[in-house]
Amino acid sequence: MRKLLLSVVLVVFVILGFGKTLTIWIGGQVAELDETWNKIIKGFEQEYGINVEVQLFGFDTYYDKLVTALQAGKGPDLAFADLGGWVPTFAEKGWLEPLEEQIKNWEGTPQIWPNLWPTVTYNNVRYGLPWYTDCRLLLYNKTMFEQAGLDPDKPPRTWDELLEYAQKITDAKKRIYGYGVSGTKTEHTTLGYMMFLYAAGGKLLTDDYSRAAFNTPEGLKALKFYTDLAKKYGVSPNPIQYHEDDYRNMMAQNRVAMAIGGPWSFPLIESANPNIVGKYSVALHPYDVQPASVLGGWALVIPKSSPNKEDAWKLASYLTSFDVWMKWIEEKGGPMPTRMDVCKASKLAKDPKWQVIFETFPHAVARPPIPQYPQISEQIQIMVQKVLLNELTPEEAIAIAADNVNKILGVK
Amino acid sequence: MIMPYVLIIMGLVGFMLLSSVVMSFLDDRGKFTFQNYASIFKDSVFYKSVLNTCVWVVGSVAGQITLGLVVALLLMQIRYGQVFFRSVILILPWATLDIVAGVMWRWMYNDMYGVLNDILVKIGLSKSYIPWLATPRMAMLAVIIANIWKGFCLSGMFFLAGIQTIPQELYEAAEIDGANAFGRFWNITVPQLRPVLTTTLMFTIIWTINYFPLIYIMTGGGPNYGTETVVTYIYRLSFRFLEYNKAAALSNVLFLVVFTIAYLFTRKMAKEVAA
Repeated sequence: MRKLLLSVVLVVFVILGFGKTLTIWIGGQVAELDETWNKIIKGFEQEYGINVEVQLFGFDTYYDKLVTALQAGKGPDLAFADLGGWVPTFAEKGWLEPLEEQIKNWEGTPQIWPNLWPTVTYNNVRYGLPWYTDCRLLLYNKTMFEQAGLDPDKPPRTWDELLEYAQKITDAKKRIYGYGVSGTKTEHTTLGYMMFLYAAGGKLLTDDYSRAAFNTPEGLKALKFYTDLAKKYGVSPNPIQYHEDDYRNMMAQNRVAMAIGGPWSFPLIESANPNIVGKYSVALHPYDVQPASVLGGWALVIPKSSPNKEDAWKLASYLTSFDVWMKWIEEKGGPMPTRMDVCKASKLAKDPKWQVIFETFPHAVARPPIPQYPQISEQIQIMVQKVLLNELTPEEAIAIAADNVNKILGVK
Repeated sequence: MIMPYVLIIMGLVGFMLLSSVVMSFLDDRGKFTFQNYASIFKDSVFYKSVLNTCVWVVGSVAGQITLGLVVALLLMQIRYGQVFFRSVILILPWATLDIVAGVMWRWMYNDMYGVLNDILVKIGLSKSYIPWLATPRMAMLAVIIANIWKGFCLSGMFFLAGIQTIPQELYEAAEIDGANAFGRFWNITVPQLRPVLTTTLMFTIIWTINYFPLIYIMTGGGPNYGTETVVTYIYRLSFRFLEYNKAAALSNVLFLVVFTIAYLFTRKMAKEVAA
């Protein structure tokens, strides 16, 4: 009898406890920063009197975990979603709560970088609040520049310079390379190609995302140059096996001098080799016709299944408030806030590396925020791989890829 | 008091199977359709993945069975420290976490600093570092090699157990009759091991068809579609493209194939026992 009573009491406690606790799932690179998270969440708990349970996930497992939970209607109250197409994809499935009203009435809305909004919009309704962002840049190793007789403070600005510098640095016999071309069957390859595509003046899809727009002379030029860096000029390690994260680690060991990277790379390259502090830097990625970059980052979304939607929005707006962001930057020095006022007011504005980032950011484009994006991205990866494997010429590969993308988008 | 558990487990399995079948016949709006099955058979990646699965299964199973048999025969010869050698050789690869094994093999195959390349160059078998995972064919070979290492232990264990049941008198009689080592192996060990061999073959074939983590970690199904098997494709359909209904349809097709294989094997085994 006593046991029964005890279990009934316990069950009641659990139910009551669950009712008042807000859960937030945090995925991606910020997962390493759990102390800071706890501190900031504690501030929220004291101010609003709401209990919050924080769960952190590594990047690799987070997507599967989140999709499984959302599909089952068992998600958290507030979740992180990647700006690379997750929000519209989930919104199309009906998994997310529209936040248009809240965002319209929120005082912080005008401070969010305007080029971020398309990434969280589906059918003209906003479903997410962008929380942190980044843009892709050229990450380079100053020591290797010096060893090759190049000025480490003058990174290449154009494609011609990129090739020239990379050739000077490359010593294939010693397995030392100038530039790392991402060619794996992962998102990195799509991002790599997009950097060159937009820098050549091309576009991935038409502005209304209704059909492929990369099968143009610009798109072909980008594909040729991107793959030739590895195939014809041999300034990259075998690209089929590696992507920018691998190249960052090779850069930490002075094996690859340049690769695509961004603000998130700083703590990671320094943890791979603590001696590299001050011996690497970032610059605008070399371009052909126009400066280009691809943005990424994470937004806060509220799953439809959450019973505490109002409190979840309170937490979302609290996390994205000026004061909380300033505290975050004071403590950690990154990642890049989605708020322009924080970018200008915090200590980041004085750091030359971050100045490059803030100058580049307005040029940054988002990946197409449409539910079909994962399939489109795969077509781009296959296109690059087929050219790298010499299975198709760039002309053939780009025509096939554009055709497939149009099929995915339902073009008749 | 076992019945409730059996019922629960049966219920869970049955529920999963049933919901997968139901899902595979629904479209996005929840209406009945054959479209999911039709789209599979119109999909060129599907045929590619079936072909890859065949190569993957034949290569892996042949390798695992052969290596398992050789290792089991060798382990029988050991006089001292049997337990130690058996646990190291037969348990270690099997007990290694799939993810750990995948990451480990990927590093060993690395063509910038991989240990495999380093060894090959140092002993003079290869002049330069081989990019193991860089072409579809090499990548398939590389994952099969890794899978043989990961899976030979199971068949090794089965064979070891099987060999131990062979009566020693048979060998002694054969020796007196003048049979050499190969003759003894071919005329005594192999026939005596037949039932074990059939079971092992069935298990390894089914497991290899359904085995997913190693490929996922090492190549992600690439380069191109070089190592995309049916299961990695199902994973991609459901978790990358969120096409759950099509993934369910493909899973059911795969289930039928696996079920047929299992059925054929068990029928054969039942016949042998009856004979």
